[in-house]
Amino acid sequence: MNAVEFNNITKSFGQLTVNDKVTFAVEENTVHCLLGENGAGKSTLMKILFGSYHQDEGTIKIRGKEVKFKSPLDAIDEKIGMLYQHFMLIDDFTIWENVVLGNELSSFGKLDYKKIKARLNEIIEQYNLGLDINKKICDISISQEQKVELLKLLYRNSEILIFDEPTAVLSPVEVKEFFKIIEKFKADGKTIIFITHKLNEVKELADKVSILRKGQLVYETSKENIDVQRLGNEIIGNVEITECPAKSHPNEDNRKYFIELKDVTLIKNKVKVLDDISFDIKRYEIHGICGVEGNGQQELVDVILQFEKSFSGSVMMKDERVSIVPDDRYKRGMIKEFTIGENILLKKKNTGFISKYMVDSTSQYIMKKYDVRAPSAETPLGSLSGGNQQKAIIAREIEMQQNTMIFYHPTRGVDINAMAFIHSEIVSLRNGGKAILLISSDLDELLKLSDRLSVMHKGRLINTFTESELVTENKNNLVEEIGKLMIGIH
Amino acid sequence: MSGLTLKRFSIQTQANIISISLSLLTTFAITVILILCIGKNPFPIFGTMFSEVFLSGYGIGQTLFKATPLIICGCGLAFCFHAAIFNIGAEGQLNAGAFTMGLVALKLEAFPWYISIVICVIVSFGVSAFFGLIPALIKIKKSVSEVITTIMMNFIIMALINYFLVDFFAAKSTMHTEKIPENMMLLKFSTMFSFFQGSSLNICFVIALLLAFISYIVIYKTKFGYEIRAVGFNPSASKYIGISPDRIVLLTFMIGAGITSLVGLNFIMGYKGFYEYGFSNNVGFTAIAVALLARNNPIGIIFSAILFGVLDSGGLAVNEMVPKEIVLVVQGVIILTILSINTIVDKKFNLKR
Repeated sequence: MNAVEFNNITKSFGQLTVNDKVTFAVEENTVHCLLGENGAGKSTLMKILFGSYHQDEGTIKIRGKEVKFKSPLDAIDEKIGMLYQHFMLIDDFTIWENVVLGNELSSFGKLDYKKIKARLNEIIEQYNLGLDINKKICDISISQEQKVELLKLLYRNSEILIFDEPTAVLSPVEVKEFFKIIEKFKADGKTIIFITHKLNEVKELADKVSILRKGQLVYETSKENIDVQRLGNEIIGNVEITECPAKSHPNEDNRKYFIELKDVTLIKNKVKVLDDISFDIKRYEIHGICGVEGNGQQELVDVILQFEKSFSGSVMMKDERVSIVPDDRYKRGMIKEFTIGENILLKKKNTGFISKYMVDSTSQYIMKKYDVRAPSAETPLGSLSGGNQQKAIIAREIEMQQNTMIFYHPTRGVDINAMAFIHSEIVSLRNGGKAILLISSDLDELLKLSDRLSVMHKGRLINTFTESELVTENKNNLVEEIGKLMIGIH
Repeated sequence: MSGLTLKRFSIQTQANIISISLSLLTTFAITVILILCIGKNPFPIFGTMFSEVFLSGYGIGQTLFKATPLIICGCGLAFCFHAAIFNIGAEGQLNAGAFTMGLVALKLEAFPWYISIVICVIVSFGVSAFFGLIPALIKIKKSVSEVITTIMMNFIIMALINYFLVDFFAAKSTMHTEKIPENMMLLKFSTMFSFFQGSSLNICFVIALLLAFISYIVIYKTKFGYEIRAVGFNPSASKYIGISPDRIVLLTFMIGAGITSLVGLNFIMGYKGFYEYGFSNNVGFTAIAVALLARNNPIGIIFSAILFGVLDSGGLAVNEMVPKEIVLVVQGVIILTILSINTIVDKKFNLKR
């Protein structure tokens, strides 16, 4: 039987059609991967399924029965659960409080703690989630937060689970663990709709694959016929992907240090968030730092940018200003109410008047030079697609023309096309003589770009791989080694 | 390019015009019902109000005179609000400045009027800015919400003024300071145009318009204004862009508070010739509504201030026919309808806000 059937779903926002007569079915008890670029309409389709949006045309059937959801509450009643990219947890509440919030088991208005806790522990046991339900959210890691979100869905007896890029925040080892949990879900008869950009995950997990492009369903296949190359082509259509330039190697004596950290230690709330860090970045070099989110990367950036001054040790920098592409573009990367041009002029070291002409011509220049696609020069940056926002931010940093640049999760949540563009820009900058610090948790990206690669764990740099160590025949071994280091296994 | 510009601009303008006319109509309907409820015939009341406010030079003059402090104070608050500083302390800040202005003016008899007025403006601007500096510092250093601190500052400032006025500076058995030298009084419109006969409208209205225009340029067309708005939208992104949010909050708070001091110019030099306790009549609070109604756009503030001026002087005109509380009710209703109808219309036009 089909768990979900989409029938001719059409949804438009103003003039833009985001879902165009989408028809496909998700079989019960399968892992169904949904692929597509940013803005292809995946999220909109899922939000329609979950009741946050309403389709203009078409019908949805759940387990053969036509449904019309007024809100996510109706969807939850039909045992549909959504795991969002951004978690919605209350930091000061414990795990179990977060889980039961809004869905309390009570007898005569009094919470039945014993019953709730017993049930939660039972679920944790069953799926091997390894959570301590009495811990507060602020004391657990991101991957554990994700498990708490899973626990929420399970506690509400969800049978159809929607996962929106769940592995983006996980390290390779955690991804494996997560896949094991998914296998268990399947064994228990649950249905999983899995949105991702990572094609190797699709190969590993999917029973069926559907690809959306510009709002339309363009390709469907099942487990036996998955061909990663083909998937990639179908996702982007007939667009040429920017090719990454080869790395050029200048004379050794050109390679001066642009940033040098010595024995930097930073203590926050009595915790060593940076522990005796020494490293450097040279010209013509991309120094990669890999690690699971929350192991001191943000603090390292804060120290280099001089936002954080209460550290011990020394930081030597050739230039005072350092370019940065921050990790979270919504929170730190841009003023989303401003246009592309306004965002760029804001960072330029000029004063005085900013005319509409200046703003618009800057927008147009950036749109043309960096292939940032926007409806017009006056569109607020916040209403572009994620990939285009990120391109605009990177364009801004390149235009600053600083010698040292930090790229912090430069391709998080962007599509294949934008990712290829950003990677090629980073390599060109390196070839142009910049010193680049690349912080990421995406191992593929780090291995592709880095000249040197350091692994960060609990505020320490625990190992640095040199260029020669990175160029190896046995890539799988290297990946496994780095993956282990990332979770602290030496 | 220009075609696109015009198109987008006109959609926004269309939406604004529709929403404002709809809300005025709604307010009108509600007011009619209200007056009917208290057992009066609304139409003669509106008739009187209309003819008193719009058909006489005196009425127009008084309306603009009442709008002047709202424009000034609204512009000051617009700076604060653009930086996401919710300054509730304009009432105190403007009184501190105006009180100083009234006192300083007394000592400047020897100077020519243009010098003494400039000195008065600078000193009172400084005093008001100082009372913006205090909550700004508390906000930056200890992250205490400015809403609380500025409300408390209002009490402190008003109490201090009361003390100093009564014990030291008041003219005998009054609540106001001594009269300032005659040469410092601003030009009245009624002396230039007999049309405005009897109204207190003075040159300060022109200063207010100029201020609104300059504020508009600063907020929307300069790097500094962009920085203010960037910090208001997203302080942490601003930091990464290379702006110091603390510096902007400090400067903007001081500028915003400083501007409110100019309200004193209208009353002291344009009207009475002295500082009087309670002269501001809650301008500092009404201006919050004025600024919000105009979405903190200084040009819009001119119009929303005039709207409030109309209600104010119109209320006086029908004083004998309806209870004066009705005017307050209408003021409240108009804000509510404009704000709610704005969102509805924007949604219909697919304009994000």
